[in-house]
Order: sequence, then C-alpha cells, then structure tokens
Amino acid sequence: MTRLVSHLQSSVGRKVVMALTGLGLVTYVILHMVGNLQVFEGPHALNSYAAFLRDMPILLWTARIGLLCIVALHIVFAIQLSLQNHRARPIGYAIHRYRQASFASRTMAMSGMVLLLFIVFHLLHLTAGVIGSPNSDRIDAEGYRDVYGKMIHAFQNPLVVALYLVGQLGLGLHLSHAVSSSIQTLGLEHAALDRLFKAAGPAVGLLVVLGNIAIILAVFLGIVHV
Amino acid sequence: MNFTVRIWRQKGPNERGGLVTYEAHDVNPGMSFLEMLDGVNQRLLGNGEEPVAFEQDCREGICGSCSLVIDGIPHGPDRGITTCQLYMRRFPDGATITIEPWRAKAFPIIKDLVVDRSALDRVMQAGGYISVNTGGAVDGNVLLIGKDQAETAMDAASCIGCGACVAACKNASATLFVAAKVSHLAVLPQGKPERTRRVSAMLEAMDREGFGSCGNQYECEAVCPKSISVRFIANLNREYLRAGIVESGIPSEPESPHAETT
Repeated sequence: MTRLVSHLQSSVGRKVVMALTGLGLVTYVILHMVGNLQVFEGPHALNSYAAFLRDMPILLWTARIGLLCIVALHIVFAIQLSLQNHRARPIGYAIHRYRQASFASRTMAMSGMVLLLFIVFHLLHLTAGVIGSPNSDRIDAEGYRDVYGKMIHAFQNPLVVALYLVGQLGLGLHLSHAVSSSIQTLGLEHAALDRLFKAAGPAVGLLVVLGNIAIILAVFLGIVHV
Repeated sequence: MNFTVRIWRQKGPNERGGLVTYEAHDVNPGMSFLEMLDGVNQRLLGNGEEPVAFEQDCREGICGSCSLVIDGIPHGPDRGITTCQLYMRRFPDGATITIEPWRAKAFPIIKDLVVDRSALDRVMQAGGYISVNTGGAVDGNVLLIGKDQAETAMDAASCIGCGACVAACKNASATLFVAAKVSHLAVLPQGKPERTRRVSAMLEAMDREGFGSCGNQYECEAVCPKSISVRFIANLNREYLRAGIVESGIPSEPESPHAETT
C-alpha cells in the first residue's frame, strides 16, 4: 500500500490523480447539464427535480463536499505539476514552433483558471444567491422553491449571459483536451480504439457546452419564459 | 545557395550565451545541414575565429548525436529524420535559419550547441539489467515470441536516445524516451522478471533528473526521428500503475540491485 501511495506522488502518479479527479468532475458536469435541461420541460419538472435533490440533505452535502475536495486536489496537483514543468526549462527558445499540439492543450492552465473563476461566480450567483437575483427563494405554485423562475430571471441580464458564455468557452476548451488526455494518462490505449479516444475530448466538450448554451440562450432569447 | 544562420554561441556551461549571425555562402543543395555548418566553421577557422561546437557522429541518422533545434523545431522541418539527414535543398535560397541547442534543465549546455545528455544515460542505468542465463548460447527460436510482440518491441527499441522529445516538449519531459525504453523490454519475455521494478526505477530517475511531466500534447512524437508513437506513453502509464499495485504486496528490499552508482 505504501508503494501505491508513493507512486501517486511521482509525476506520473500526480497526473493519474489529476486524470481521475478530472474525469469525476466531467461526470458531474454532464449530470449537471442533463439535470438543467429539464428547464425545457417547464417549471414543474425543474422545480420538483431541485426539490428531489434537496430532499436528501446528507447525500447533497456529501456530494458537495466531495466535489469540493476533488476540485481542491485537482487544482493543487495542477499547480505542483506546472511548477515542476516550469522548472524543467529555465531558459526558453528564441523561436519555438508547435507541430501538432492542439490550441486547447496549449491553454489548459488558462482555460482552467477561467473555469475556476467562473465556477466561483456561478456558485455565488445561482447556488448561494449572493450576487444578483433578489427573488432567489420564492416559492412556486406547487410549494417548491422556484428554481425555474430564478433561472429565467438570471439569464435576462445580458452581462450575466456574457459571463456565462465566457465560462462555457473555458469549459469547452478545457474538456476538449482533458478527456482524451486523461484516457492516455490512465494508460488506456488500443489500436482499434485510438480514434474513439482522440475524439472523446472534443465530443464531450462540445456536448456539454452546447447543452448549457442552449439553456442560457433559450432563456435570453425568450424561447423559455415564465 | 546562400543562407544567413543565427547560431547560439556560448563559451562554457556557466557563461552567458547569445545568438550570433553568420553567412553561409556557396552551399550545395545536396549538402546536409551539418555539412553546411562545416562550411561555416571552415570560414571561421580561416578567419582565426572559434568554430561553432555541435555534436555529430555517424551522420546517417542512427547514432542520435546530432541535436539542433532548427527554426524552433528539433531536427528541423522534416519529419522522421535527424539533423544530419536534413538537406539544404529543403530551405529556400537566401533564408535565415535560427539554430539553438536542446533546452532543458536536465540538459545543461557544455558549449555552443552541445548539451550534456547524460541524464538519459542515468535513467537507463536506473532501469538496470535483464536476467540472462549464462553458459552456452541458446539455440535459435527456443524462446518463441509472437510477431506482434516482436514488432512492438522493435518499434520501441528504435529510439536512438537523441533527446529531441525533451527538446520539443513544452515541459522538457523525457516521457517518450522512458516510455520507449520501458515498453521495449516490458513486451518481451526477456524483460519480464524485472518488469515491475524497472518502470518504477526509471520514472523515479526521470523525476530526479529534473525533467518535466507529460502534458499529452504529442509534440515529441511529431519530432521523433524514429517516429516513436505516443501509445508507448499510455503503455508506460499502464506499466507504472500496474507496478504500483503489484509492488504493494512485495516487502521492499533493503538494497535494490538496480540502485545507481553515482
């Protein structure tokens, strides 16, 4: 067991931890998007879904604290690895040309930071209700907390919509490299599955971003309304 | 053909270096890149100046000595070749070419374009031996190895240890090199007895030498003169995870037979 723990502290081990935590977060992001897509089914569907999640406080808080720990681990190891990588080349090249590195792979730190700032904003905005939405805890006709109304209200503000779209850009960019990269880091490789693994990142990124943007724009353009 | 070359000049390991511009005149399009540099050096010697130091040996792409970053790409603009296999006809007449050494903390500059790549040797040493029976030579084909396995091992073994993967990597990581060396022996029966210990020791040595970690950008694969595939990196990660699990059950030995002598 000590061997496994010491293995997880090496550079490859840390990458494995980053891949596992990252894939965990990707799973959450997908579930989050699917859950929110219920906005298209009307207030009843979304509000009763939100109430269903809040009905299990122990599970809810376990999930929240778990996600927070995963995010913390992901960020700490990202910083450690970046510092190690930075030290590995003290003097840079006068000219450096990339041959095949994708734009997303070159901007992982940047997109990660955009994503982190966005998540903090998102939590303060829609989860905690510190920013904006004064009518956050209204009750709908059926006695549920009116999450639907809150979303409609939030995405009518063009500034909020712009910030959310930037956040989605960061998310899409990050995921398009992250998922395929995680698969490689976990040592999954097979000649027959190579193209599938390579396409997994951009596909998952695009799926999540399109789903989320659909919600934001549908509200903003008045397709979904109160 | 005539070229303007900007070359990194540095007198010694601890000196400050800089790019110096030289002219290369009357270059034959059939000359290799190193022969063009020979011409530049000949003129420098004629003028009583210090010639440019660069590493070279076989000049046929198998020794892994030549190590130049040409216009920002290790081994230059063509794929699957070393610097010595790059011909001047590849460049437009009158072009300005920038030549730099491999840059990594683990590869300190000795002089001009020559870097110390013994870090890669120490990673190899950390890998240790393979168990081979002594005595009379074994008959051929006693040990049967599948064609697929043999081909995979050969693909990995084609690494010439030039270090272009390190030079191209944003993080100056030697992961492709270590992956090739580990995969080569891990797929063959001869490498099986030490398989678990080897991967851990080599990756620990890589970290110790100050190389970065892999960012899965695959720049290494694109510049590798032997076009070694990054699927060996996935294999390396798999071997390492396997070792972490398998070794957990083995009590650690007081002294590893693979310990490096420094």
